[in-house]
Amino acid sequence: MAKIGVFICHCGENISAKVDCKKLAATIAEHPGVAVSVDYKYFCADPGQESIKKAIRENHLTGVVVAACSPRMHEATFRKACAEAGLNPYMCEIANIREHCSWVHTDQDMATEKAADITRSMVEKVKRNNKLQPIEVPVTRRALVIGGGVAGIQAALDIANAGQEVVLVEREPSLGGHMAQLSETFPTLDCSQCILTPRMVEAAQHPKIRLLTYAEVVSVDGYIGNFHVKVKMKARYVDMESCTGCGDCITKCPQKKISSEFDCGIGKRAAIYTPFAQSVPNKPVIDKATCTYFKNGKCKICMRSCQINAINFDMQDEFIELEIGAIVVATGFQVQNNAVYGEYGYGKYPDVITGLQFERLASASGPTFGKILRPSDGKEPKNIVFIQCAGSRDPSKGVRYCSKICCMYTAKHAMLYSHKVHDGKSHIFYMDIRAAGKGYDEFTRRTIEEDGVSYLRGRVSKVWPKMSKLMVRGVDTLLGKPVVIAADMVVLATAMVPQPDAKEFAKTIGIAYDEYGFFNEAHLKLRPVESSTAGIFLAGTCQSPKDIPDSVSQASASASKVLALFSKQTLEREPVVASNNEATCAGCWGCVLACPYNAIEKKDILDRSGKLIKRVASVNPGLCQGCGTCVTFCRSNSLDLAGFTEKQIFAEVMGL
Amino acid sequence: MTIQETYKARVKKLLASGTVKMVIGYKPGTTADRRRPHFIRTPEEADQLVLDSACITNLSGYLLSEGLLSDEKAVAIFLKPDGIRSINILAAEAQLNSEQILILGFDSNDNQVTALEGEKVEEFTTLIESIKEQAPEALKNPLLEQIEGMTPKERFAFWQGEFSRCIKCYACRQACPMCYCRRCIVDCNQPQWVNTSSHTLGNFEWNIVRAFHLSGRCVGCGNCDRACPVNIPLRLINAKMAQEVLGAFDHFSGMSHTQEPVLASFKKDDSETFIL
Repeated sequence: MAKIGVFICHCGENISAKVDCKKLAATIAEHPGVAVSVDYKYFCADPGQESIKKAIRENHLTGVVVAACSPRMHEATFRKACAEAGLNPYMCEIANIREHCSWVHTDQDMATEKAADITRSMVEKVKRNNKLQPIEVPVTRRALVIGGGVAGIQAALDIANAGQEVVLVEREPSLGGHMAQLSETFPTLDCSQCILTPRMVEAAQHPKIRLLTYAEVVSVDGYIGNFHVKVKMKARYVDMESCTGCGDCITKCPQKKISSEFDCGIGKRAAIYTPFAQSVPNKPVIDKATCTYFKNGKCKICMRSCQINAINFDMQDEFIELEIGAIVVATGFQVQNNAVYGEYGYGKYPDVITGLQFERLASASGPTFGKILRPSDGKEPKNIVFIQCAGSRDPSKGVRYCSKICCMYTAKHAMLYSHKVHDGKSHIFYMDIRAAGKGYDEFTRRTIEEDGVSYLRGRVSKVWPKMSKLMVRGVDTLLGKPVVIAADMVVLATAMVPQPDAKEFAKTIGIAYDEYGFFNEAHLKLRPVESSTAGIFLAGTCQSPKDIPDSVSQASASASKVLALFSKQTLEREPVVASNNEATCAGCWGCVLACPYNAIEKKDILDRSGKLIKRVASVNPGLCQGCGTCVTFCRSNSLDLAGFTEKQIFAEVMGL
Repeated sequence: MTIQETYKARVKKLLASGTVKMVIGYKPGTTADRRRPHFIRTPEEADQLVLDSACITNLSGYLLSEGLLSDEKAVAIFLKPDGIRSINILAAEAQLNSEQILILGFDSNDNQVTALEGEKVEEFTTLIESIKEQAPEALKNPLLEQIEGMTPKERFAFWQGEFSRCIKCYACRQACPMCYCRRCIVDCNQPQWVNTSSHTLGNFEWNIVRAFHLSGRCVGCGNCDRACPVNIPLRLINAKMAQEVLGAFDHFSGMSHTQEPVLASFKKDDSETFIL
């Protein structure tokens, strides 16, 4: 005989404002099998939880329904409370009368009626719940960090410093990411490389970190605690073991006019190269696309110049397989291609550059050794126009969101320019100055007040060349007047966008992403570093535009999540897994194909003499994530999902 | 020699040489224009074989008779192009090994029966590809277009009228080569998802389930339509679903014996973002 306790939460006024909780409790009390039906202001708070426990003990309840917020919010809380009172936690269900009812309705009577329907439906379900036991799975204590920018490096170091093994995978030939390209960093103006490169070296030399550069993750299988990861080690054509990084090959390479990716096309590199002088590892790779030997079959000058024979043109891509317990995704961002703004002339006029290109000009290790010079004629510009939101906050041509860092770096660019070119003048066209952060507003004020940068609130409509100048026509909306400035250089504060292959990569590793391709967190506020897939965490700009402090914070947060996971030998998994009725299974293998987790195997049913009777599907509970895809596909209704069985769902529907 | 005689001679040879253990074909039925399945085990039994334009039933379902294929011996079967596509689907769904099936292909147009070249299912790929190309036109049907032109209310009333004759005999299920489950979902009563009564709800439930279970699998052979004792135009529902999967997923059932089922497979480049 079912004895169900129903606990109706007011959620402050979130529910009680639209649902008459007293009336609801009285209605539900009438429902068959309901032993207790009470309402309370906050069941999630300590006194509320205590009252549920007390009711379970006193009334010997066989099941509990908490009519409250979404189960995503507090299902775990209430199940834990039930377990503490001696009830199997899976005998507790949540009736969502907040998101599904009070928040979306205005009519109190109808909302109350709907809340009763939702609650009744869950009472009917819980009557058919089974006592489930959690599944224990082992945890491989080895983390994979994908991306060797500042976020990836931070996450790897934090995990490794706590004594756990880390594999750090970077697809470029060197660690560093975008931060290595920057000159000085706001708001303190410390040199980016000076603070980053020691971290890069530390990561590369750490005994707990296995560094794989020029490598890409090609597949991820398995589940939290037990991922199987395949990594492609791209052929470098340089033997990492023996190369000393002397650089002779780079000096001798006849191809020296290749546009450098690291210098954003402003500088040049050879076909055998390291991205920058402080690369980690400081060992070159051969760019197959531009190498003379790979194009014509002749050259090999680098091979002859190498005194230790480290160059091998026969090298092939290699694949390595890794057993991994947790993954931190820190794959970073790209800058939007500004060619979409025809009116700014990016790509047409060489002196219209992006903010990232300006960083390379201002960087001491850059192509101009830190001198601000025009790409067109190498002259020092005396007047620079900076255009903010060149892509961001522009639904028509760019992206709708704010890239968050541009106000700050544009202010920094103007400041650096005034420090380097004392007689230089800079103008910044802006929409709003967004300088929220520690020391940020002070920084932009300093740019305006001490460095004399002129801020013009308005947009630029056209840039055109005149003699050796770039004419910039914009509007100063505060004065309500059009302005035309004769500039020597124009710098666009380009939008931060996801990596071009971000969506494809998200599919490869099995995480969700938003309309732009930024990876989705499990909960924007409460679980901002977890991805939607258990055991995969996010760090840095792959999730949303961020500055360095935010990226580093998120990386450390991800690392702490990984370490919490690694703090136990085994992991308790929810027993919500599918199972198959082998007697009725028709063996069509639709479920095998439909399963996104490869959790369904083919199983032979043999008679006593070992003769095959039939082959059926069999679910591996360790791999099953309980998504239910197989159940919906199965035509013969042979598959069922624990915790959401056909009987439970049917009762739930019929309870409405 | 007529095509019937040619095939008869071939069947006798196949059985006499032991190439196949059985040939599934047609023999005269209860009336002059009806044919019934003929399970031929000896060359003598082949004398009764009939092959003419009245041979319209898709015989492929008989291959799944309990134990028939378990000894791994070859079976030959008379099939029209739709039946050949059924073999591909059944092979793709692991219900049979297409290597074990020897196809005696034929087609009939304007009361003329013609032979189809090939024995193994792969040899008919070009033929099936040409059928797919013609499918958008071939699937068109005046009654279907008339139904599509109706308002949802009228359409509901139309089907309610048609289904009101249903007596839940499940002859449609029995006749369909794709309905091979050992236990059909309608026979599952814990819980009873599909109402077995012959009232509006039960009739709709059964036919909607049937339409979904056959979408991307039906080859349009018409076995269900002909089996229905109360003449419900079942084929229209399946033709509509075939149009849908062809339009939405470029999926045409029975293209090859490795074709993935349309409702259980997904592509990584799918435009829907919920596909991970």
